[in-house]
Amino acid sequence: MEAKLYHLATSLEDAHKKLLENPRNVLLGGGLWVKKSTKSAETLIDLTALNLNEIVETEEDIQVGAMVSLRQFEKHPAIRAVYSGFLALATQQIMGVAFRQLATIGGTIAGRFAFSDLLTALVTIDVRLMFYPHKVVSLVDYLEAKGKTTDILTKVIIKKSPGTGYFKKVSNTTLDFAILNVAVLYTNNAYKIAVGARPQGASLAIKASEYLAKIAFPTAEDFANAAEIASEELKFLSTPTGSESYRKTLTCAYVRRGLIEVAKNAG
Amino acid sequence: MQVNFILNGAHRTFDVQPGEFLLETLRNSNILSVKDGCNESTCGACTVLIDGKPILSCSFLSMRAEGHEILTVDGLQDEVAKISALFSDEGADQCGFCNPGLALTTYALKRELKNPTDEEIKQYLVGNLCRCSGYQSQFKAIKRYVRDEQ
Repeated sequence: MEAKLYHLATSLEDAHKKLLENPRNVLLGGGLWVKKSTKSAETLIDLTALNLNEIVETEEDIQVGAMVSLRQFEKHPAIRAVYSGFLALATQQIMGVAFRQLATIGGTIAGRFAFSDLLTALVTIDVRLMFYPHKVVSLVDYLEAKGKTTDILTKVIIKKSPGTGYFKKVSNTTLDFAILNVAVLYTNNAYKIAVGARPQGASLAIKASEYLAKIAFPTAEDFANAAEIASEELKFLSTPTGSESYRKTLTCAYVRRGLIEVAKNAG
Repeated sequence: MQVNFILNGAHRTFDVQPGEFLLETLRNSNILSVKDGCNESTCGACTVLIDGKPILSCSFLSMRAEGHEILTVDGLQDEVAKISALFSDEGADQCGFCNPGLALTTYALKRELKNPTDEEIKQYLVGNLCRCSGYQSQFKAIKRYVRDEQ
């Protein structure tokens, strides 16, 4: 990768000022996608000296610094415990250990990657993003926003609630991008369903959730109906790895399985 | 620019470009055990250890190594000899290209996971690809190493 300069930021203010100096200046999270997508840059701005690599658990939430590596994230006891560990499960399926040692949760989220496994799991949860300077937005709002931002993601705040989750990644091989990924969460007596890599990015199946919300004790047939609704309400496209109809079929199957599993685990 | 880190136990200083990755820096310094397999963060042939943890050197900026400890197989001769002996015993060697990266990942696995199951071992090794062996003989050798079976 060609770059004229490397800058190790000494503060968020320093990093932000550097970022605004030139549109060809690039912020580095793990740097893996930057390497793939950037032929040349003016200045590479490194955030590793800013202590953004801590995970703090409180009564209400888990606060994850943007420079926490995916490996650190998947191994943390609080992440392994919350929502029956499905966030850790979603993270573990991303490439290999050496890759996850470098990739960061900040880079994963800031990039709004349509193929991201972790984003699909995260959109089912109440997640807020803290940016410098002074902005807090929900993950869902951030993913729906258009255009680049010059704000710097500093923290990911994951709300804790009792609940159980399910995650499934469908891919040709372990190291491939997903053909589709599915997350189902049962929390606060509600079912949340998200599907990503459609190939479009993670999206909540709202109508499917609303359907289930009207049923006090959903049966297997209700879960099948909800899965059908999810596969109809979400949009899919055909790519070389999978056709639109294949992705719809996968959605129907795995959403149904996910609903059955979380219902069983929730007792 | 200059970067200073400990390479295989010795303090070293390297002249690097801002956008240079550790794989290139190491190979330019004649550490040829670190292989350029794909240069796409996928195959694991370029694996090195940073502070004991496996990373992909093809995707790690050299400047980020400042102050850290980098290990290649050249700095782990005794442990690598044990792993190599087991690989030979199980017939897990063919071209050998994946071996340095795989050996380092195996060494890190043993230090990190206590009493791993077969599934945990496989999951840990998923990022080290081999085009030759079909993985079974390697898996047997690695299990023996991790479980201290001679």
